[in-house]
Amino acid sequence: MSARVGTYLAAPVMAFLIALCVTPLLILFAYSFFRVDFVAISYDPSFANYAKIAGSATYRGLILKAFGSGALVAAITAVIGYPVAWFIAKRAGAMKSALLTLLLVPLYSGDLVRVFAWRVLLGAEGVINRSLIWAGVTDAPIQGLLFSPLATHIALTYNYLPFMVIGLWLAFESLDDAWLEAAADLGAKGPSRFARVVLPLTSPGLIAGGLMVFVMVVGDYLTPQLLGGASGITVISAINDLFGTAFDWPLGSAIAWTMLAILMAFFALGAVLIRRSSLVGGA
Amino acid sequence: MDRRLFLKSALAGTALGAFGPAGRALAATDLLWMTWENLAKDDYLQPFLDGSDVALTKTFIGTDDEQFAKLRAGGASSVDLITPGLDKVSYYTASDLLQPIDFEKVPNANLLYDTFKKTGLGKVDGQTYGIPFYWGINPIVYRADLMDEEPDWSVFFEGDKYNGKLAMRDYALEGIMIAAMYLGIPRDEMFQMDDKQLAEVKKVLMIQKSKLRTYWNSIGDLTNLFATGEVVCAFSWVPPYYDLKEKGLDMGMAKPKQGVIGWCDTIAVPKGVEGARRDAVFELVNYLLGPTYGKKLAYGGPYAQSTSAARDEIDAEQQEKIFIKDLSVMDSFVWKENPPRYNDWVALWNEVKAS
Amino acid sequence: MPLLRARALCKTYGTVQAVRGVNFRLDENSYVTLLGPSGCGKTSILRMIGGFEEVSSGLLELDGAKLNDVAASARPVNTVFQSYALFPHLSVLENVGFGLRYKGVGRAAIREKARAALETVQMGAMADRRPRQLSGGQQQRVALARAIVNEPRLLLLDEPLSALDRRMRKDMQIELKDLQRRLKMTFLHVTHDQEEAFALSDRIVVMRDGIIEQQGAPDAIYRRPETAYVADFIGGAACVPGRIASQAAEGYRIETALGQFAAPGVAGLRPGAEAVLCLRPEQLRIDPEGPIAARVTHVVYRGAEWLVELEAAGVALALTTAHDAIPEIGADLRLGFDPAQVWIARAETGEAAQ
Repeated sequence: MSARVGTYLAAPVMAFLIALCVTPLLILFAYSFFRVDFVAISYDPSFANYAKIAGSATYRGLILKAFGSGALVAAITAVIGYPVAWFIAKRAGAMKSALLTLLLVPLYSGDLVRVFAWRVLLGAEGVINRSLIWAGVTDAPIQGLLFSPLATHIALTYNYLPFMVIGLWLAFESLDDAWLEAAADLGAKGPSRFARVVLPLTSPGLIAGGLMVFVMVVGDYLTPQLLGGASGITVISAINDLFGTAFDWPLGSAIAWTMLAILMAFFALGAVLIRRSSLVGGA
Repeated sequence: MDRRLFLKSALAGTALGAFGPAGRALAATDLLWMTWENLAKDDYLQPFLDGSDVALTKTFIGTDDEQFAKLRAGGASSVDLITPGLDKVSYYTASDLLQPIDFEKVPNANLLYDTFKKTGLGKVDGQTYGIPFYWGINPIVYRADLMDEEPDWSVFFEGDKYNGKLAMRDYALEGIMIAAMYLGIPRDEMFQMDDKQLAEVKKVLMIQKSKLRTYWNSIGDLTNLFATGEVVCAFSWVPPYYDLKEKGLDMGMAKPKQGVIGWCDTIAVPKGVEGARRDAVFELVNYLLGPTYGKKLAYGGPYAQSTSAARDEIDAEQQEKIFIKDLSVMDSFVWKENPPRYNDWVALWNEVKAS
Repeated sequence: MPLLRARALCKTYGTVQAVRGVNFRLDENSYVTLLGPSGCGKTSILRMIGGFEEVSSGLLELDGAKLNDVAASARPVNTVFQSYALFPHLSVLENVGFGLRYKGVGRAAIREKARAALETVQMGAMADRRPRQLSGGQQQRVALARAIVNEPRLLLLDEPLSALDRRMRKDMQIELKDLQRRLKMTFLHVTHDQEEAFALSDRIVVMRDGIIEQQGAPDAIYRRPETAYVADFIGGAACVPGRIASQAAEGYRIETALGQFAAPGVAGLRPGAEAVLCLRPEQLRIDPEGPIAARVTHVVYRGAEWLVELEAAGVALALTTAHDAIPEIGADLRLGFDPAQVWIARAETGEAAQ
């Protein structure tokens, strides 16, 4: 069967999938210009909801917090992910598939199981605090370990590290060792080799992994809610409240679309960067 | 196939406890009830089904909001009976989704406790659309072994003894009600607070936030937090008190003197239900308010029915458990209402959490 | 003092001995080839000199100083990789200037030097291209410029021409040799192609199974192979096994299945020692009066000539002949040769004395 026939056969399926994904988003987009009157939507288009977001320190702050967390966790996972991915791709040898499987195990355990595991570790009566008290490092448990931004970001890092590692691992797999040898041959020491050769040539993996981590952190409201304590609110849970409790679908839609627009801008930027680097990537 | 039939047959395949084979379900008067899982146990309903020609299909909800969204999306004839919160009925009536309760067909409604007869909630222009069905309170639950005295609402706003050991439900309506009760705002003003009062509320809620370990979202999660000692005192639901007591923890339950938050769910009939189905639905409503169901719910839930139909058949210990031994307790209840400026309340709540 | 010296150099990978105690030296301003089939250890030697593989045992010295533990980045040695290993994210000019940053060269000077190096290899016009926009031959030149611009003491070339087509390979051979003469730099070139080795080298090191079979000037390797292996690998000679009968005036008398012959040979053979009589195709000729009876087994057309393969007393022989005298397959012929032109080599293998 020729590729062309395949394309024609796939077209209806693709169209269906696109319609399925895009239609709800378009409905949300339309809602974002309406107004809610108790439980009735008033179809009277305006930019009032977007103005409300722009004028609200709360929603601006929450959006900024979401993207800040996404960027921070993406950066931390990159720092941890580079040596791990390098080791798996270049040094693990026969253990490679075992390590990759091991890396994915936490993903199968389910969100809640992981959250409760972190509570057992970080809680006031948790493993770490008990050990610290036993060792005499501290007299009273460190409350800030759990129900704090620290706990949230530790768990987020743990949750999404595999996606960064996989992105980088794929990039390392196609990184020819000869490039590293050539760089060393030309006088570049370790840090310089990383900056001038490894980083640019693995950047597609870094960008892809980073975007995945970023998007998933931005969308994760459960981890901050269950581990972040009193300050665990996220823009996503605020959107949930607006849709559920407050029945303010228009404002919820407007925030959702603001988030979506920013995320799409990030994706477009990522796509441009990946395309640019893959133009030169691969010998 | 119309939407209703489609929804039913789809549900019949998945919902727990679909009664009888599909053939009979279609031949008899078949009803679809959207409700909470713990209200529709087979055992509770079997006596009614045995004595009628009704085939009942149940579809379970996870939140009140979900129920509203489903009904609104499916239309007023997609379901025969729903179970909205007393404070939420106005959502449904405002969306024109409900028909009035036909009291002639529901004689057990005469047995409603006074407070439910008198309440303005669930009614529009004197007509009842959501009839109170079962109720309870949301108290303060605490670790009696870790606290010196029985707390009241002030524990969430004053002193620093329990800083970092308190929890509050992540729910704007109740959170703001509690702050209002603490501030001494009268019950009849509470849901119509003006900007000045809301500013006061926000101020004390900010103080509250600094004392909290966390906001809780599921009762299972809160139970876990009590058990691990992360939280010693929380605005709670009743179940953790009994669950943890059973596990040997010394738990306390406080009904604050400033006011107790009472909750009540209603049963309501969507507008599109007509003819034989309408008759059958009200027959079911009457059963749900009657003694047989009431007794089963009192021991099985344990929850109190909104009528006194079964009260005399329940022993004193169980009466105590479901707050119907001393009926005067109901006078201190503050029933949840839907504030007209609810969007502002939610915004305020989010501002506090995001601060 | 030689530029580079290897003493008892060994490389083992796990249980595999890739290089088994080799000794050699590279002189200043020379073009040296490591020649051998794949797996003979020649690339391992190159990689140890480059610093990409650790020396398992033995000594490497550059300019009299121990090189073993010097990091690759600190060695005054540059490499032209078999795959070229040009950085795909950098332009041609940036590739060539890559190493100069580590030599304390200023930004402007880097560009200038890199351009000059590109001119040297006639790639000045391609400075702003990306490597993937270049042909294999062009990439080869850039890789060369990237290495020589650093003015290394020693330039290593790892099978640099193997990916090029035959025509391009010939041109590049001439250019490489020319470049080495102009730069007065020492080139160490690894190849499996003996023609390439002859075209380029001042000195050839023939390797087999991790040891050196013979090293010396190309002419000496060709005319006076020390072992049967070198005679076969270099000249395509048929090696007729035999035994030294006695010393003779200009060499030895050797007893073989084809008869007894007197011919010059490698020094140090004693009567009774096993040896081989090396008969290269161009040395054998059809001669009705000749001493060897043979039967034609194959006839192969090679353009300029025909290669006739024969069998004589169980020994496979070959000779080249002109177009007008092609024997039939299966024909019985008699063959002759000039004993003064042929050579007697050792039968066994082993690293030759330096």
